[in-house]
Amino acid sequence: MTTKQATRRYFQIFVPAMILYLVSTFGLNYLFDQPDIEIHIALKIAMSLVPICALLSLFWTHWRYMNDLDELLREIQIKGAFGGLAIVMLVATGWGALEKILDAPALEVFLLNPIFWVGYSVTTAYFTWRIVGFKE
Amino acid sequence: MKNQLKVLRANHGWSQAVLGEKLDVSRQTINAIETERYDPSLPLAFKIARLFKLPIESIFDGDLG
Repeated sequence: MTTKQATRRYFQIFVPAMILYLVSTFGLNYLFDQPDIEIHIALKIAMSLVPICALLSLFWTHWRYMNDLDELLREIQIKGAFGGLAIVMLVATGWGALEKILDAPALEVFLLNPIFWVGYSVTTAYFTWRIVGFKE
Repeated sequence: MKNQLKVLRANHGWSQAVLGEKLDVSRQTINAIETERYDPSLPLAFKIARLFKLPIESIFDGDLG
């Protein structure tokens, strides 16, 4: 499979899954904040699974993408994932310590997801530039 | 790792994209090997050697100094 084909296959799942994730996250937040709408707790839990399923699809398509790529591009993706993980760990540990020591405001745990993707994107872009060059 | 890939490819009149297709890797990977920014895995090095019908050591300089 060529890189182009792998990338197309990746975005075919990534784009709808990301739209579903964003729409369901913000939609459910809005819905659950409405005081005049009563929703049974079981239904609330079931509805909350929608963004989780979308997120699972995102990780699954990313996993497949990494398998579809050739060895160099896969290595860059793995370095990116490690960079993202390192940044998440640093933020979680660092902020956790600040919460304990300085009474800093609590960090919303769900923010670790976008923090991971930012860290992953920056690391991947850095190694792409260093090994492949952006002109490529 | 120093290598003769660029010379061998030029001798065959192949572009990086064509060589990438023959080896089932991206053009970026061929470019990174040629510019010595990436050392190929052993299976890929064998694939390259088989494609050019040469021993690995005549394509790649295994002397890491």
